[in-house]
Amino acid sequence: MSTRKAHIALEGKGLSLGYVHQKQRKEILSDLNFQLISGELTCLLGPNGVGKSTLIKAILGQITPWKGTLSLENQPISSFDLKTLAKKIAVVLTDPVFPGNMTVGQLVALGRTPYTGWSGKLSLEDHEIVEKALSDTKITYLKEERLSEISDGQRQKAMIARALAQDGDILILDEPTAHLDLVNRFEIMTLLREIAKNQDHAVLVVTHDLDIALETADRFWLLNCGTPLIADRPESLILNGSINQLLPGEKYAFNLSRGKVEAQLLENQLKIKGPKEQVFWVEKALLKAGISRLEHEVSVLSEPFTIQTEKGNFSSLDSFIQSLDS
Amino acid sequence: MNLRPYLFPLGLLLLGLSFLLNLSLGSVWIPFGEVIEGLVTGNWGKASWEQIILNYRFPKALVAILAGSALSLSGLQMQTFFRNPLAGPFVLGISSGAGLGVAILILAGTVLGFSLSSIHSWSIALAGILGAGMVLSMVSLVAWKVKDSMTLLIVGLMFGSAVSAVISVLSFFSGAEALKLYTVWSMGSLGALGWSQVGILSILLLVGIIPVFTSIKSYNALLLGENYAQSMGIHTGKMRWIMILSTGILAGSVTAFCGPIAFIGIAVPHLARMIWKTSDHRVLFPGSVLVGAILLLLCDAVGQLPGYASTLPINAVTSLVGAPIVISLILKRNLSRDF
Repeated sequence: MSTRKAHIALEGKGLSLGYVHQKQRKEILSDLNFQLISGELTCLLGPNGVGKSTLIKAILGQITPWKGTLSLENQPISSFDLKTLAKKIAVVLTDPVFPGNMTVGQLVALGRTPYTGWSGKLSLEDHEIVEKALSDTKITYLKEERLSEISDGQRQKAMIARALAQDGDILILDEPTAHLDLVNRFEIMTLLREIAKNQDHAVLVVTHDLDIALETADRFWLLNCGTPLIADRPESLILNGSINQLLPGEKYAFNLSRGKVEAQLLENQLKIKGPKEQVFWVEKALLKAGISRLEHEVSVLSEPFTIQTEKGNFSSLDSFIQSLDS
Repeated sequence: MNLRPYLFPLGLLLLGLSFLLNLSLGSVWIPFGEVIEGLVTGNWGKASWEQIILNYRFPKALVAILAGSALSLSGLQMQTFFRNPLAGPFVLGISSGAGLGVAILILAGTVLGFSLSSIHSWSIALAGILGAGMVLSMVSLVAWKVKDSMTLLIVGLMFGSAVSAVISVLSFFSGAEALKLYTVWSMGSLGALGWSQVGILSILLLVGIIPVFTSIKSYNALLLGENYAQSMGIHTGKMRWIMILSTGILAGSVTAFCGPIAFIGIAVPHLARMIWKTSDHRVLFPGSVLVGAILLLLCDAVGQLPGYASTLPINAVTSLVGAPIVISLILKRNLSRDF
C-alpha cells in the first residue's frame, strides 16, 4: 500500500450533463456527486445508455456541465487549457486504433505529445518515461512489434502504457476489457490495480465486468437511470443490497454466498440429495434444460460422479437428462 | 542488411538522376552527356539546345518536382486527418473548383464574347486559383458548422460532384474550339509554365508547406483519431483549419497552374509508407515529397515518347503508368493493415 495520503483527484458536485439536439435540451445525468480518490481503482458500472460515456466526456472537458461543478485540484475543469489537462488526465477509449505500421514503442511515445516540442522529438527524460511505462505494463518485449502483429490483449496493454506515459494523476479507461478473453480481462484489471496502488494514480474504469470488478476494485460507482450515483466499497454495496440496482426486475439477483449474479432459481420441485456443490450444478443443469420437477428423489455422488435414480445409475448429466426426456 | 539509413540519400540520388533524364528527353534529341556538359560548363553544343533546356525543359522538370511533392504532401495530410486510405488531395472538391474557374473563363467566355486567343496562361492560372479558393471557402464554411470529420469528407465529395455537374452544363453549351481548349487543360500539362510562373508557384507552395512543418507532431497524434489527439492536448478544430488551408493552397495552386493531375496524391503516401515502413510523419512528410517528385519526373519522361514529336498529357500518363505499379505493390501487401 502507498504510504502517501490519499487525496481527492477529481470531484463532481451537483453535476448535470446532457446534449442539445436539434435545439432541444436532453438531460442525461442529473445531480451527480462523486469523488475520485488517488491510489484507488474505481469501477463505474451501469447499464448501456445510462450516460457513462457522457460523464467521461465531461471529465475530459469535451462537454461543459449544465449545472454543478467538476473540479480538478479544486479548480473547475473548464479553467484548464487542453494541453495542461492532457498532462493531468490520460484516457484509453473504445475507439479502434489501427495504424498498423506503428510499433508499440512509437505508440507509447505518442503519450509524451503534451510535453514535446513542435516536431515531437523525445528528450532523454521522455525516453526514460516511455521505457518505464513499457516495463510497468510488462510489455517491454513488445517494443519493436508492429500494432498489426500483436493480439488484442497486448494492444490494450500498449494503450494503457501510452496513457501512463502521459504521466497524469488520473487514468480513465472506457471498457478496457471488452472483447478480451478471461485471462486477459483479469490481467488488465490486476495491472490497473497495481498502477493505482504503486503509482498513486486515481484510476477510473468503466466496465460491465462485474465479476472481475468485484475482485479488483476499491470503490464502485453505480449509475442507474433516475437514481443518484452511488459510490461505496463494492463489499458494502453487496452487503446492503444496493448492488441489485444494477439488475432491474426479479429475474436476476446477486448471490451473496457465491459473489456473482445469477438467474433467480425458480421455485422448483427438484428433489436432489448429495454434497452441496454437486446438487447446485445438477439443479442448474436441470432447470436450464427446462426440467423443474422430478417424480422421485435422486442422489448425486461425487467420486466418481454418479446420479442414482430408481431407473438406474447415470455417469453423466447428458445421459440423465436424456432419460428424463424420453 | 538494414537499408533504412540509406533510403533518403538513395532517394536524393534517384531524384537527381530522374531530373537529368527528364532534361535529356523530349521531341528534340539532345545527348545525355551534352546536357550535363551544358549545365556544368555553360558551353552548349548548339544554341537551340541551350534555349530548349534552359527555357523549356528546366522549368518543366522543376514544375514536375514542385507539383509531385505538393500533391503528395496534401494527399498524406488528407489520409491522416480523415484516417481514410482512399482520401487524396482532391476529396474536398479542390480540383473541381479549379476546373470550374477555368471552365467559366474558357467556356462561358465564348458565350460572353471573349476571343479564345486572348486567354493567356496567366488568366487560366488565376481563374483556377479563384475557383479552388471559392470551393475551399465553401468547404471551410461547412467545416466550421460540422464537428465530425467523416461528414466533412462526404460534404467535400458532394461539392466536387455538384461542381463537376456545373462544368458539364457549361461544356454542353459551349463551342467546339473552347471545349477543346478546356479538355486540353483538364488533361494537365507541366510544360506550359515560364520562369515567372514557376516563381509564383514556388512561393505559393512554400506558403502551403509551412503549416505542415509546424504540425508534424499533431499529425502523429491524429493517427489515433481525433478523440485521442484531443486527450493528448491537440486542438483538433485548429488542425482541421490548418489541414484545409494547407491542402487547399498546395493542391489548388498546382491544379490552377498545371491542370488536374490524378493519382499522385493518393498513391505516393502509400508508397512512402511501404518504403519506409513507418507511420511517423517526421519520416513520411519528407519521404512523400521525395517519392512524389521522382514519380512525377518519371511519368513526365515517359509522356515525352522519346523519338516522337508529340507528348502525352501528364494526367493520362500518371494514371496509365502509375496505377498498375501501385495496384501490383498494394496487392502484395495488406493496405489497410499497413495504413
